Parts: sequence; structure tokens; C-alpha cells
Amino acid sequence: MLTSRSPDTPFVGSPDTLQVKVVEHPFSFRGSQNKQLNGLIVEAVNRMGGVGEDAEENYRRAVSALKRHADEALDIIAAEYETLPEDRYLDRWSLVQLLSDLRNPKAVKVLNRIIGTRIPPEKAKQSHDFSTVTEEVIIRTTAVEGVVRLSADDVVEARKVLLRYAGHRMFSIRRASVQGLMETGTDEDRKELRAKLKKAGQEGLLKIRRLDVQQVPQATGGRFLVHPDVKEELPPHNLGSEES
Amino acid sequence: MATCTYTVPDKNATGDNFYGAVICNQAYIDYFWNTYGFKGNKTYWDDGWGWDDCCNVNKPLARAFNGCYALTYSADDYLNDSYSSPILNWGRRYVRENIDNLRCFCGDGTAIARSKGGGLVEVYLGFFYTKDVPGRAETLIHESRHQGGKPHDANFPAGSTFGGGKSGADSSWGYEGAWMYGALYLWWYYAVGARTTSALRERARQRGNVVIDNAFATHPGFSI
Repeated sequence: MLTSRSPDTPFVGSPDTLQVKVVEHPFSFRGSQNKQLNGLIVEAVNRMGGVGEDAEENYRRAVSALKRHADEALDIIAAEYETLPEDRYLDRWSLVQLLSDLRNPKAVKVLNRIIGTRIPPEKAKQSHDFSTVTEEVIIRTTAVEGVVRLSADDVVEARKVLLRYAGHRMFSIRRASVQGLMETGTDEDRKELRAKLKKAGQEGLLKIRRLDVQQVPQATGGRFLVHPDVKEELPPHNLGSEES
Repeated sequence: MATCTYTVPDKNATGDNFYGAVICNQAYIDYFWNTYGFKGNKTYWDDGWGWDDCCNVNKPLARAFNGCYALTYSADDYLNDSYSSPILNWGRRYVRENIDNLRCFCGDGTAIARSKGGGLVEVYLGFFYTKDVPGRAETLIHESRHQGGKPHDANFPAGSTFGGGKSGADSSWGYEGAWMYGALYLWWYYAVGARTTSALRERARQRGNVVIDNAFATHPGFSI
């Protein structure tokens, strides 16, 4: 079928040009001479982004290997988090997620520090789809989730951290802390939390409920005409694995 | 014309090196190129963007293809893209029906992507290098919703991470705008995303929650 679009012919004028520099991984490991442990951290972060039927299994295996050196690993991960440039949001997030997945009680102190670190002013003020403050908040809510997991493991200090950040100035961090403490805290914790929220006029946070995705209104996608271009049948998802 | 440079870590959490090993297959390359708006736009994807090196995941085209793979295959039953199924299934259909031309530019750092109308979507450096692979799928869905006729219709609420009082928010969940589509896609990805890791699903949950908390003038009253 003919389309109204031109084929892949050059046009008058110049498109943008990109030059890419590749580095092995985003970390410096300036404070760690333990190459084996450094390698395990790189491997675990790398495996976070896995794809395929065995992606989760490979990631779990990488985290398990790291858990055998958890105490030293925590120190290295915390140091790397501090060393990474501020704008490496995804890389910073990956270290926080790793701290969360290690599920080690000693991580409370590091996660507490990450949540409590001042959020730098917005650097993308003209944008509506990218926000450095949003990236910073995602890092911190991920840290809150790490604390929630430790609270569920009966780490008392974790509950104190959640109670503290139920009063954080950023809404999402407050909301995540409140939900986490309500779900994993003791009756006494919940009572203390309610009192704190009442005093701050923040009781509305208790009404925001975690739901299953099937319980919320769904999007209606089929309101528009199908584009007339011919769309080929898609190939199966595992072509590479079939060939190997 | 602009010239830009970017330093890419070969091993980090974006997922690109793993997805890259999968998408380097002519069947996928042909399908994504012809289906998601690359076709007819070779000039844009040349000159360092990867047209002549489309399996190299350090370059944008392969990273865009990785996002297309996540968009296409993250539902367990991906062959079902009926609009009566979850958005995780039909997101790919919505994108292919609404994006005719997908073009890449350096950008000025103030946006990940922009919907230009008439089926044209522009993606900038942040799309390839600050977004993880499923995050790119979310962006394509967000921009497709604009192409589908839903502009943002409200200002961000007070205290929003996106900047309270700025335009660019959706009025409510029920408006079914671009933020709702993106958040709902992330929610389904978190809940039942296939062939991925718990870490990336958790990232989808965290991003989805922050969108729900900050991108609607009226908070929907629920979270992931």
C-alpha cells in the first residue's frame, strides 16, 4: 500500500549529530580496593535491567552473591552513592534499590540519610515531562520502600525512620512513609502516626489506599481510527533464544 | 543542526545491554522500524544516532528499539492487543496507531520528548540515556496520547515535584490524559510485567506513584 510519507531519502538541511563515549560502568570505587566485591556490585546493578525468562533468577543470584559480603558491601554502596554525580539519577537509584534488595538491618542508617538529604532545586524548570526534583523524590521513595521492607522484618529502627518521614515536606515521601508504617508497624506505631498526622492536619494521607491495578478505572484506548499504514505481523518474543 | 555528546556506562541498570542482545535480530529491527514511526526518518537516525549500527546499544537507535521491545513484549500474552485488555497489552497498538514519525534530536535538556502534532514525536537525549528501557515505552505511550487528541489540561498542584502552578498537568485520572496512560502502563508493568526483573518492576511502581501524586490537579486517591 502506498503511504503519503516520503521514503528514506536525504533532505535539504542537516539533522543533529551525536558522539557517544562509552565507559565500563558508572562507578569509581575510589574507596574500595576489593575488586571482587566491586565486581559483584557492578554485576548486581547490571542484572537489574535483565530481560528474558531468566532475568529475575539472574538478578536474584547476583544479589545473593552480594549478601554473603553484606556488611562490607553496604559501606561500598553507600560511598558510591555519595560519589556519583548528582545528575546520574538512574545510577543513584540503582544503588538505593540494591540497598533495599539486600534487606540488611544495617542499611537503615544509610537509607535514613538518603531520604533526609536535602533535595536540590529544580534544574529543568522549563520542562513538563522531566524534573530533577521528581528524579530525586523517586530515589527517596525507593529508599522509603527499603525501610518499609526492614520494618516488615521487625527492625525497630526502621519504624522510627518511617514515623519521622511521615512529616517530610515532599508529599510522595510522606505518603510512602505513612502507607509503609500503617502496613508494617505495630498498633502502637499506628497510634503514634495517627496522632502525628492529626497534629499536622495531614490525616488525608490515611485515605490514600494502595490498590490492585485491576481495581482502578482503566484507560479506553480504542477511540481512534487505526492508522492506514500496513503493519506487519510481529515476530515472537524469543527469536534470539531460539537461535542460540 | 546541533552536535551533542554523551558518556554512556556500558553496565548499569537501564537494561540496554540485555535487551540489546535480544533486539539484534533482523526480524525485530524490521518490525520496529516499520511499525513505530522510524520508517521515512532515516536521516534523523543517522550521524551518530545508530542507523548504520543499530545493534549497538550505546547508540540511540538500538536503545529506542529496546524500548520498543519492552512496549511490544512486556505482557505475558502479548499477541492480544485488544483494547478490552490491559494497557500493558494494547500500549503497543496505541503507539503504532498514533505515532507516524519518530525523530531524534539532541534537545536542550528541558524535555525527554515532545509531541508535535500530525503524528510527529521528537525524542531527545534524555529519552535514550536517563530513561530505563520500560521508561522509554512509557514515554512513547505518553506522547501517543497527545497525538490521540489529549493535551494536558491543568496546572500542577501546589507542592508538585513537577513545579506547583506550572501548566502541563492533567485535571484528573478520569480525564484519561497522557499522565494517566503512562502511570497506568507503569502500574500494569509493576503488577504483571513479563520477562523483566523485580527491580525494574519496583522502579515502575515508584515512578508511577510519583506521577499519581504529582501530575494530577486532583489526586486520584489511590496509589500503586
